[in-house]
Amino acid sequence: MKKTYSGIEKKLSRWGWFFVAPSLFFFSLFSFYPILNAGFTSLFRKKILSLKPPTFIGLKNYIYLLQSDDFWNSIRATFVFTIGTFIPLLVFSLLLAVLILNIKKGKKFLQLAYYAPAVLSSVVAAVIWMSIFDPRGLGNQILNFLFNTPGIDHKWLADSTMVQLSTILVYFWKYIGYFVVIFIAGLAAIPGSLYEAATIDGAGKWQSFWRITFPLLKPTIILVSVMSMLQCLKTFSTQYLFVQSGSPQAPINVITLNIYNTGIRDHLIGRSSAMSIILFLIMLFFTWLQFKTSKADDVSY
Amino acid sequence: MTNTNLISRPGRIISPISLLIWIILTSALVFTLMPIVFMFSASMMPSKDILKMPFPWIPKEFHWQNFTKAIAGNDGSFIFIRNFSNSVIVSAVVTVTTVILSSMTGYGLAKFRFKGRNIVFLAIMATMMIPFEAIMIPLYLVATKLHLQNSYGGLIIPFLVNAFGVFMMRQYLLPFPDEFLDATRIDGAGELSIFWHIVLPNCAPAIATLSILTFRSQWDNLLWPLLVAQSEKMKTLPLYIVKFAAEKYTDEGAMMAVAVLGSIPMLILFFTMSRYFVSGASVFSSRKG
Repeated sequence: MKKTYSGIEKKLSRWGWFFVAPSLFFFSLFSFYPILNAGFTSLFRKKILSLKPPTFIGLKNYIYLLQSDDFWNSIRATFVFTIGTFIPLLVFSLLLAVLILNIKKGKKFLQLAYYAPAVLSSVVAAVIWMSIFDPRGLGNQILNFLFNTPGIDHKWLADSTMVQLSTILVYFWKYIGYFVVIFIAGLAAIPGSLYEAATIDGAGKWQSFWRITFPLLKPTIILVSVMSMLQCLKTFSTQYLFVQSGSPQAPINVITLNIYNTGIRDHLIGRSSAMSIILFLIMLFFTWLQFKTSKADDVSY
Repeated sequence: MTNTNLISRPGRIISPISLLIWIILTSALVFTLMPIVFMFSASMMPSKDILKMPFPWIPKEFHWQNFTKAIAGNDGSFIFIRNFSNSVIVSAVVTVTTVILSSMTGYGLAKFRFKGRNIVFLAIMATMMIPFEAIMIPLYLVATKLHLQNSYGGLIIPFLVNAFGVFMMRQYLLPFPDEFLDATRIDGAGELSIFWHIVLPNCAPAIATLSILTFRSQWDNLLWPLLVAQSEKMKTLPLYIVKFAAEKYTDEGAMMAVAVLGSIPMLILFFTMSRYFVSGASVFSSRKG
């Protein structure tokens, strides 16, 4: 059969290439080439505006970075931000999703209302919260009301611990609804018959949550954690805007901010490329981890 | 979907547990909506009212100067209008090209058999693992070589298509019946016209979702314009907001007004097409490793 249609098949396979080729060209030029180029450039001492040809220095950029306090501070800032954001995001979005599914009225409304902050751009989010964090602003008013400490300034944007907390809070606020929606979709995909069977077998509500919902939701939980982790590792806008408006840079000098400053402000292309490659490897590791864990735990029902 | 119903007790109107549930859900609601309501009220107040204690949630009168300041800018140059239009143009063009190129590629990968198809698919998927933040410096060098700084080309070209869009369109088209395509071929339709008249219209829901995702991520894009658009004229809205906020840090009212202006297009989109926003988020949950 196949041989008689080979003419048509050949024609169709050409059309396949026709549909695929533009994107393939695009990805080669704007994804593969730049990452190879970043790897290559990271081995040179290179400045943007300098006319001198770049000098090959091998792994010196990497060695420099590994010995630089500034770089380790960026790694620290990035991980503090990532861990501080993704764990609360995971816990609270799962909690809210389970609770929303348990109410009778207003599910749709609550989902949309929680999702609303995700619609605003990150710059707008940062601007809004900057006003809330003003010494005389809402942030202090609310904290002082809750803890009954009138007139205290909590230095949201000035104190080095508080400014880290502030960036985490902005991100948490912006993405909580997004992950609630993902969890609700994951929960809705669990067939109701499983719960009926469990009820017949005499399982209580809590039991069926821990024995059915939780294990079956594991792929979604892994997916959400890796996604939020990768998202957090790339954070830039909030930190950039806070620093531009006068917050101390060191506590929130995340890797992306450091890459930007090193490459664009200080013109040190080689060194910032080395940092890019390190960021890439960190993210690649987490993606690999996701694939590995989600493959092993993939359930069928 | 009440299958995870942990605590419904018929007969009682409010049980302590459901009261607790409502308290948690309501506090979360206050937490997510409070800053948005704050933005809108503050944008209509003089700055001295915004920092009053306690915050007067309802503005006494409409303080429209905030908005004129936001639009006129610090120097009265009205560059806001240009920057805002740049954002609209860039986001719209990127959305259109992403939709067309992603569905073309997704269609090619889902419905045609050719040598190397799997390699092409894997290669495109692999680019999803390359974070933009890690390639921005070499990408900037590419853009410099192509003389794309301070131009629409520079803002648009690196985003013409994205791997996630390709993945999504391919997944959407895989179950599309081949017989249907073959039948149209036998009727003499050309491949391009099949794509344009049959495949694209059948992808409408996926296209709507992809459009929203793309438009929003472009509207939100700060990092790339920061690199490639140094001239005031080619800046986009996020850059305008950053600059405005850094200069007007003490004028909270004007800052909130510029935030409102930057959010209104997305909020309108959200209220008219919230279905697609939500499906855009949950697309991920069907993506298994």
